[in-house]
Amino acid sequence: MNILIKSAKIIDSQSPFHLKTQDVLIEKGIVTTIASTIKNTNNIKEVKLENLHISSGWFDSSVSFGEPGFEERETIENGLKVAAKSGFTAVAMNPNTYPVLDNKSAVEFLINKANGNIVNLYPIANLTQQAKGLDLAELYDMYNSGAIAFGDYNKSINNANLMKLALLYAQNFDGLVISFPQNNSLSNNGLANEGETSTKLGLKGNPAIAEELQIARDLFLLEYTGGKLHIPTITTEKSVKLIADAKKKGLNVTCSVSAHHLFLTDIELEEFDTNYKVSPPLRTKKDINALKKGIINGTIDMITSDHNPIDIENKKIEFKNALDGTIGLESFFGAVNKLLPLEKTIECITNAPRKRFNLKNETITIGKTANLTLFNPELEYEFNKENIVSTSKNSAFLGKKLKGKVYGIFANNKLTIN
Amino acid sequence: MKALSTDHLLGIKYLKKEDINLIFETADHFKEVINRPIKKVPSLRDITIANLFFENSTRTKLSFELAEKRLSADIINFSAGQSSVKKGETLIDTVNNILSMKVDIVVMRHPNVGAGVFLSKHVNARIINAGDGAHEHPTQALLDSYSIREKLGSVKGKKIVIIGDILHSRVALSNIFALQLQGAKVKICGPTTLIPKFITSLGVEVETNLKKALEWCDVANVLRVQHERMDIKYFPSIREYTQLFGIDKALLDSLGKKIVIMHPGPINRGVEITSDVADSDQSIILNQVENGVAIRMAVIYLLAQQIKK
Repeated sequence: MNILIKSAKIIDSQSPFHLKTQDVLIEKGIVTTIASTIKNTNNIKEVKLENLHISSGWFDSSVSFGEPGFEERETIENGLKVAAKSGFTAVAMNPNTYPVLDNKSAVEFLINKANGNIVNLYPIANLTQQAKGLDLAELYDMYNSGAIAFGDYNKSINNANLMKLALLYAQNFDGLVISFPQNNSLSNNGLANEGETSTKLGLKGNPAIAEELQIARDLFLLEYTGGKLHIPTITTEKSVKLIADAKKKGLNVTCSVSAHHLFLTDIELEEFDTNYKVSPPLRTKKDINALKKGIINGTIDMITSDHNPIDIENKKIEFKNALDGTIGLESFFGAVNKLLPLEKTIECITNAPRKRFNLKNETITIGKTANLTLFNPELEYEFNKENIVSTSKNSAFLGKKLKGKVYGIFANNKLTIN
Repeated sequence: MKALSTDHLLGIKYLKKEDINLIFETADHFKEVINRPIKKVPSLRDITIANLFFENSTRTKLSFELAEKRLSADIINFSAGQSSVKKGETLIDTVNNILSMKVDIVVMRHPNVGAGVFLSKHVNARIINAGDGAHEHPTQALLDSYSIREKLGSVKGKKIVIIGDILHSRVALSNIFALQLQGAKVKICGPTTLIPKFITSLGVEVETNLKKALEWCDVANVLRVQHERMDIKYFPSIREYTQLFGIDKALLDSLGKKIVIMHPGPINRGVEITSDVADSDQSIILNQVENGVAIRMAVIYLLAQQIKK
């Protein structure tokens, strides 16, 4: 399709037009002209929006939809609609499904299901058979079918030898291993960050050391095996330090942090609101400060929504029985943009994660395929239920003041404007 | 007439000092009532109370039931063993079903932390928390403070040590909040494995030496070890627990002063305290039980007054 985007500020560190306000002409899905003013001679569709910014299309490295198995939480179709509305032109989908995503046909099912959508869906496949943490799944077969990385979502691999084998084996095809940072014997079914709040509320604590010990273990293993490791959703001050040290040593490790772990602390749990029950648990202000610093100095590579839709039946129950997770796509930009410099935020959801997950590099340049996110970073609003298109409404951001609104995306030669 | 600042009794941390004073003054009155030949007042003839016990209880359940009967309330009882909870019904549905039979107050014990708070947000009744996981057991803490006040004249400025399994104890947590609110000094004592790492953030001190703790205090509130809440052995054996944290008469007599001994029950005689300590004149364990009825009458009465308004 052909569109003319009028006076958009381009945020794209890879583009020669970075930080310039330009008109962008897209013809048949290709950026054909970028100039300070482009005349609309052929009467093509114009996109003219207040304080319009564009960047290359955003990529979220950790989202869950319910399909297959939990369609009542979210379908792929609606999930991708939510992603598009939230500014993401690509998402990596977690193997948080039933049946699990431990074989080639399951991977192909997802890819076929998302085929033709404006948003690209990239499956993360299970690392172990049945996600049981006992034996490796057929990683290479799934890699060939389109799986971009391998991990058991928020189930950690208890067996150090198995993690060692995974890191070694994945090197045969340059695969990326994901290891959820939690030592289960120390987390011990804890319900909240072990700290002042959990003590006051009598909630069983999940201590920071449960995360840090697992990260330390995995980094030791990585040093021994070589290979590529990604650690998703780190949450503690010491975790940041462990990864910074590992990077200094030259280990091939990356990590992410979720928007809710940047935006919220465990103090939110005071009313036992299950929307704040997430895994890993919400931590403290001190941790948030360290995480922000880690993003700024490059220790933390990417930011994710860790979008995890949970149906009301599994949330409107007693805190202990409620499932972990918050939806996060729709509040993502407004939350993160409030906390970090715009260019850094964009870097953490475009080039950095795309590079790590080996996706096609996207940049706003003449002659390239247009893959764009359109947004206004200044608009402030309160996030509430009316903002949620996601089937499940379990948001930890309800009632929060956010800054930055997404207008829409252009990808796969399609435009969607909210 | 004075009223409570809250609509429910979910925990001590949701109360103000004035609320505690009001409850105590009201309990003074009811204590006098239950020592009359006719131990009953007609105050709550128009109130229906459901006692929902999703977790085993003997003394708390009996105490509440008696308090309700002494106030002439209509009561219905329910325990999880015989219920539809096991058939998969949610807590909200279970309680709403009971409420649709026109119940005004729910007294609930539940194994899950925050169950009372959760219920208060989703059902239309006054909730009294009779213990929710390791969170709070407010009426126990109120009767404990009330018993200290009765024995020593006031709670303010007194030194209280809470001994035992702090990690799994809602009684400890509620007591800490209640005692601090009234200006007492609180220490906790027990095996380091059973003391929450961040307990000092609540403003209490930790003393791991039992003798030192007892020498410091005016009152020792001794808790039971909650084996049923443990997924791993937090100490090697009961024998060893008793060696380190058991209170016997010899230890008590060696202190050079007469401290008050409390225990919320049930007592494991010979484990945390020996029989001669439990039955000594320093022990106010049975007074606690008696005061429990008066305190629960006061709480129920005060919440019922708010319904009538």
